[in-house]
Amino acid sequence: MAFLELDGLTKSYGSLTVVKGVNLSVDKGKLVCLLGPSGCGKTTTLRLVAGFVPANGGEIRVGGKTVSSAHSTVPPEARNMSMIFQSYALWPHMTVYENVAYGLKLRRMPQAQVTELVRTILSATQLLALAERYPGELSGGQQQRVSLARALVIKPEILLLDEPLSNLDANLREEMRFEIRRLHDEFRYTTVYVTHDQAEAMTTADIIVVMNDGRIEQSGSPEDIYERPATEFVARFIGGTNIFSGTRNDKDTVLCQAGLVLRCGNGTTDGSSKTAVSIRHHDIELSTKPNGANTNTTVGTVTRQIYLGSHRDYLVSIAGGEMVRTVAPVNVAIPVGQEVWLHFPPEKCRALAQ
Amino acid sequence: MTSIAQVQGRRSSIDLSWPTFALLSLVLSVLVLLPLFWLAYYSLRSDTGGGATLDNFIALVADPTLLRAYGLAISMALAVGILACLIATPMAWLVARTDLPARRIIRMLVTASFVTPPFIGAIAYEILAAPNSGIVNIIYRSAFGLDPSQYLVNIYTFSGLVFAIACFTFPYVFTLVANALDKVPSDLEDASSILGGKSMTTLRKVTIPLVLPAMLAGTLIAILQALTMFGSPAILALPAGFHVITTKIWSLFQFPPRLGLAAAAALPLLIITVVLLRAQKSILGRKGYTVLGGKSGTPRITKLGSWKWVAVAFVFCILSLTILLPYLAILKTAFTGTVGDPINFDTLTLRHWKFVLFEFSATQLALRNTFLLGFLTATAVTAIALVVSYLVIRRSVPGARYLGVLATAPVAIPGIVLGVGLFLSYANPTFQLYGTIWILLIAFMTIELPAGYQQMSSAFAGVHPELEEAGRIMGASRLRTLWDITAPLLRTSVVAAWCFVFVGTIRELSATILLTTANTKLVSVIIYDLNESGDLGAICVLGIILLVASFAVVFVANRVPVLGGSQMNARG
Repeated sequence: MAFLELDGLTKSYGSLTVVKGVNLSVDKGKLVCLLGPSGCGKTTTLRLVAGFVPANGGEIRVGGKTVSSAHSTVPPEARNMSMIFQSYALWPHMTVYENVAYGLKLRRMPQAQVTELVRTILSATQLLALAERYPGELSGGQQQRVSLARALVIKPEILLLDEPLSNLDANLREEMRFEIRRLHDEFRYTTVYVTHDQAEAMTTADIIVVMNDGRIEQSGSPEDIYERPATEFVARFIGGTNIFSGTRNDKDTVLCQAGLVLRCGNGTTDGSSKTAVSIRHHDIELSTKPNGANTNTTVGTVTRQIYLGSHRDYLVSIAGGEMVRTVAPVNVAIPVGQEVWLHFPPEKCRALAQ
Repeated sequence: MTSIAQVQGRRSSIDLSWPTFALLSLVLSVLVLLPLFWLAYYSLRSDTGGGATLDNFIALVADPTLLRAYGLAISMALAVGILACLIATPMAWLVARTDLPARRIIRMLVTASFVTPPFIGAIAYEILAAPNSGIVNIIYRSAFGLDPSQYLVNIYTFSGLVFAIACFTFPYVFTLVANALDKVPSDLEDASSILGGKSMTTLRKVTIPLVLPAMLAGTLIAILQALTMFGSPAILALPAGFHVITTKIWSLFQFPPRLGLAAAAALPLLIITVVLLRAQKSILGRKGYTVLGGKSGTPRITKLGSWKWVAVAFVFCILSLTILLPYLAILKTAFTGTVGDPINFDTLTLRHWKFVLFEFSATQLALRNTFLLGFLTATAVTAIALVVSYLVIRRSVPGARYLGVLATAPVAIPGIVLGVGLFLSYANPTFQLYGTIWILLIAFMTIELPAGYQQMSSAFAGVHPELEEAGRIMGASRLRTLWDITAPLLRTSVVAAWCFVFVGTIRELSATILLTTANTKLVSVIIYDLNESGDLGAICVLGIILLVASFAVVFVANRVPVLGGSQMNARG
């Protein structure tokens, strides 16, 4: 049985329902990422798990015991969880040491043991030299690590992270992603991580749960989500993609605008006749000569070409007025206005559920 | 998404929020609504027969002395507002936006005149500018060898009253305008310059329109202060032979008391206050002026050049009139025999100090009452304000925000109106609080509640709710979190609010004057009584005691954040 279970979880504020029957199971020791645009209900879901917000319906179970339901809510302090907040929420009147030791002191641990545990976690997070500083005297990255140390030191059953990296600058954010993953591999706490940044989710998560409008859109491993998006929303939200809408011709062939026919190597092969096909920017083959095939190919005109160092980014206008974005190696330099042929390899074309 | 209004684990074992909420609603309603109810009730009750009547309101329109008092009060208040604005705006600009020397000191001095109780200022001007005994007039006569009937200035006139009040209300305009000028982002002005606007054009078209709301709002506050003030008019207008509305209401309490008429006369004052405050709020709250919170750049500084000395002279002149001369006059009077004595070693005396501190029977009781009430009021108001702002800001007990409304409401009740209402509520056989210090405590709590609440709620708003949530999720109960995390973070604000209320309480006169009796004299009332008997030396001694106490408390309030305040600046 899964360690953390959300079962039909619902939360509304007045007439506004922000979490609409979320079902989710997280095995012990896994890191789950709730990913979605702002307002999708991911933070509310996290706050429901923490116990800051009572549920209106459904249940939250930890290790088989119900902690939240429509009738009762175990208060946050009795859940043995810990959380890392978007603002870090370091107590400005306590030193780094005092911040980290606070949770242990609440657990009435002997002084010697508190000191030892705090020292261990501070050295794991490279903060030992800063123990006597106040949070106001630390940089953003250091504050972030204090907040991690404070959350980890109490050995929580579940660790919750609410957009922990959104206040850091880009370089530090990338470094901290790996740091969070490293600490997770070291301590193996069951972790729920909320973010709107897909790269953050890809780096850190065992399982990504894409949320949209209070519901789970798709959940799976980062590879699953990226390679096999189930819906147009997921395909667009995770990684750059081109979406062609059309009608299903036969089982795996989709008729798109202006005579473009796409045979899809994977995806949903049955269902309604209206469908959409997703193909990633880097999966499209670009050439100046036709390749002779009838399907999965079209002709277009380069309308924009940008040199990005590692590759070139192309925008190609195809018949019917649609714009296709694709990338090519740096040595493929095609000037704007030239005619090009695009080839969409069938194994990379994915038919989506509508 | 992390809304602060979200309910937090409401089913904890003991939930004190509902009983607290109910208790506070009751206390605040008694403090705020009860006096207003009795005010309305008595205004509709006949003073002679006791039945329901509209006579009081008819008298309000028909009685020429009442109408005249209202007319004079309103024209006085308007004149004060205009004068304060004319003095304060150029000064604020000089201090905020030019290279005038000693700008910080000037700001401090203006703030100091905030602390001066206006009635002490009025008495200082009696000492300076009374037609016979005023120091200015004595010097004038001896300089030109004139006979005693001649005088240069006379403070016992309408214009004298306006001047004396404006001297102590202009800081309201000054502070608002100077702060607004500090915050007008310089890039707005740079934008005008880059488009070709000359300095003066930029000032006229960009800077002034941007601070206009602050100017108007400050002026409205000055008008309101002047209109509802009791002390200065009682000291200066009564000898001049006219009443303003506050003194007129007070005179209705003299024998034979006409309580119904007093209540009816107080109601329009209440309505005017509410209207002025609404006007002020809507001016400050107008859209588009919200740039006044911008964080771009340091304000641009205008070089005064050869105008510098004109500006210095202007500022010095204003500061002399509002601070230096009054304070010097008070100091001189406290340490010399009579007002007219020259200052030398022969005339220096501690006679007044000896009289006030050891001989005058009322002083010790009054000092004890004043500081006791200051202490009790400050403590009670801070405690109530703390809990109310916690309920309003952190908890969604439905209706908590009405507590906030109730706690803010007294700001619209002038002291004298509240005095009338409280007299009517508690000076009856049921309560019999009249003649005790408890009726004064109730009055002061009501008067100071808005200030205390405002300070505490902005302090709470500055403590990010995630700081408390972090405590909860680490394993601390709600109370433990409050104690370990919220309380230390609020400590400096609580101390500041306490001092603020204390200073406000020990100088209150408008409501006090109606509620005090021989047994419950306060320092402010003794000062007023001594003024009737013309004992200026003793008044100045008491004034100095009040001022020293106020400045001492303000000093402590300013020092406390320094104690361990360094880490308070960065909150998470």
